Amino acid sequence: MFDQWRKKENEDSVLRPECEDLIRLDNLVKIYDTGAVQVTGLDHINLTVRRGEFVAIMGHSGSGKSTLMNIMGCLDRPTEGHYFLDGIDTAELSSDALSAVRNRKIGFVFQSFNLISRTSALKNVELPMTYARIPRQKRADRAMELLELVGLKERAEHMPNELSGGQRQRVAIARALANQPPLILADEPTGNLDTAASVEIMEMFSEIHKLGSTVVVVTHEENIAAFTDRIVRFSDGRIVSDEKNPNPAEGSGRIHAGKLYAPREESEREEEEGC
Amino acid sequence: MLIENMAMAFHAIRANKLRSFLTMLGIIIGIGSVIAIVSIGDTMRTMFTDLYKDIGITQAYVSYGYWNDDWRQSDYFTLDELELIREAFGDEIAYIDSNASVSTEVHAGRMSMNFQFQGITERYMDVQPVNVIYGRYLNEGDLLGRRKNVVMSAESAEMLYGTENAVGRTFRTTIYGYTDEYTVIGVYKKEMSPFQRLMMGGSSDTGEAYIPETILTWPNDTFYYCHVFAADSADMTDFMNRLKAYIAKIKDRNPQDYYSNTAVEEMGSVDSVMGALSAAVGGIAAISLVVGGIGIMNIMLVSVTERTREIGIRKALGARTRDVLIQFLTESAILSACGGVIGVTLAVTLVTVLGMALSLSVVIRPAVIVLAVSFSAVVGLFFGIYPASKAAKADPIDALRYE
Repeated sequence: MFDQWRKKENEDSVLRPECEDLIRLDNLVKIYDTGAVQVTGLDHINLTVRRGEFVAIMGHSGSGKSTLMNIMGCLDRPTEGHYFLDGIDTAELSSDALSAVRNRKIGFVFQSFNLISRTSALKNVELPMTYARIPRQKRADRAMELLELVGLKERAEHMPNELSGGQRQRVAIARALANQPPLILADEPTGNLDTAASVEIMEMFSEIHKLGSTVVVVTHEENIAAFTDRIVRFSDGRIVSDEKNPNPAEGSGRIHAGKLYAPREESEREEEEGC
Repeated sequence: MLIENMAMAFHAIRANKLRSFLTMLGIIIGIGSVIAIVSIGDTMRTMFTDLYKDIGITQAYVSYGYWNDDWRQSDYFTLDELELIREAFGDEIAYIDSNASVSTEVHAGRMSMNFQFQGITERYMDVQPVNVIYGRYLNEGDLLGRRKNVVMSAESAEMLYGTENAVGRTFRTTIYGYTDEYTVIGVYKKEMSPFQRLMMGGSSDTGEAYIPETILTWPNDTFYYCHVFAADSADMTDFMNRLKAYIAKIKDRNPQDYYSNTAVEEMGSVDSVMGALSAAVGGIAAISLVVGGIGIMNIMLVSVTERTREIGIRKALGARTRDVLIQFLTESAILSACGGVIGVTLAVTLVTVLGMALSLSVVIRPAVIVLAVSFSAVVGLFFGIYPASKAAKADPIDALRYE
């Protein structure tokens, strides 16, 4: 099945092997050219995130963390330097190839949830799989499984506006996991949530991480960053500190994400070996 | 993916029911009026064709051209000449007569009414069959003997005598200044469609009867027209040319001096006029399709702007430019095609109901329906191109930031 849809995608040539360094930023510069003034968003950033890390990127607004988030999410391109995602130099890719990269390599979780309105939770979760050309039935089954794992099976047919903030974010997480991407990229995922829901969501990220996924969370809240095991601080477009968090906050253990993020089976992985 | 896109399109159309309906309205009206007009046109043409079939498609008239100045007495036709022509053409001529007719007042008892007498020969029955319900049709004896016998239509008999069985009844009338008594020897009925009745004129208060043509050609046996029914309609042009050539020969004239008029020609010209008319009106109606298309473009542009964020999300999740383009193109095509389907339904209902009310058999060509719905989809596609490409080009970051 998977082989079939892989072949269909000609952009798949860029979806190459998995590397030890999932993210490598090489002298990354982003300059916003507003005509009269040139604003430096990122100033020669060098950063490596290894596979399986749980990283918080911190900074105040204007520190460049959102710019970095956009580039790491392949939504934007650097002005200078290189960004290697899973060994792929994204600077060279066409916008359609970037779409394919986002589809397969990245699971997005946004501050404002970004679910498609008037579309059921189930259909929202299915969306990345739709663009991955996964057959309808398989898609629906997996979306249902994912919703069950985030505890929203009964809400599968609900529209986003019928769900609470926390529930919406859980749908978004389920959606982010749909194509089993190596990288989960969360931009202020708790920014619109109350404390209880925030903790719940962060616990979920912890579980996802424990199962071997690489999670990058952009936040400005210390207590959110505390869940991660590495904190990178930004200021004025530069990294000011990059340190390990020796004692990440533990999840309450309420959420058993055992099957939540099942890494791809060996048979599927085979052809992606070698780096 | 096509099914996905169609499902998404229907979803989006349903999400904004009123707006979608109002958007479709232009297409509904456009397609509806085109279908209605074309169907009405087709129905009229079919009715005219049937009408010409009823009155005889091989029917033709020949006369000495009205444009000629040197009219002579010998340019009139005589019954002997008709006989010559019939012999010369043999089986090619199914029927020939003088086309003589007279309109006059008849009196029976205290009853008086106007009658239209058509002069025929006994063989007229072969080309214009009627159902003789009482008595008999005219025969050779009536013709040769110039007997004052008539075959009357059942309606006329009813009006004149108060009974359809008027065989043996008599009336007095004056033809060419001679007042005589005539006898009804037969009563006929002719099946006619309401439309044919309408087109044939013949107000209901004028009676109709067949009379031996020899009575109407008498006293000098000359007349202006030669009225024929060819045996076969296959090559009327050639037949008419030869007929005129033969007539010219026996009359010592040139074939081009003769005027002729055939039912086939007449039908052809009616048909082409009707065709052109319905094409023209249909064309005007089609302009409303363009207006409808612009309406769709307008609403699609609004929709694209409203859904900028959705487009951003889709792109972030892996939609390619092409995916977004196709999504919005599908939506506008389906929106428009839905309008087309509704328009066709309305038009077909309207025309059918109208046809039933007028007891006409309505002609609705399936090809026209298929064409109309396809065309409406094409209109949607065409006017969807700009909005869809606008959506597809959206930058995901800007789109995601859009509030």
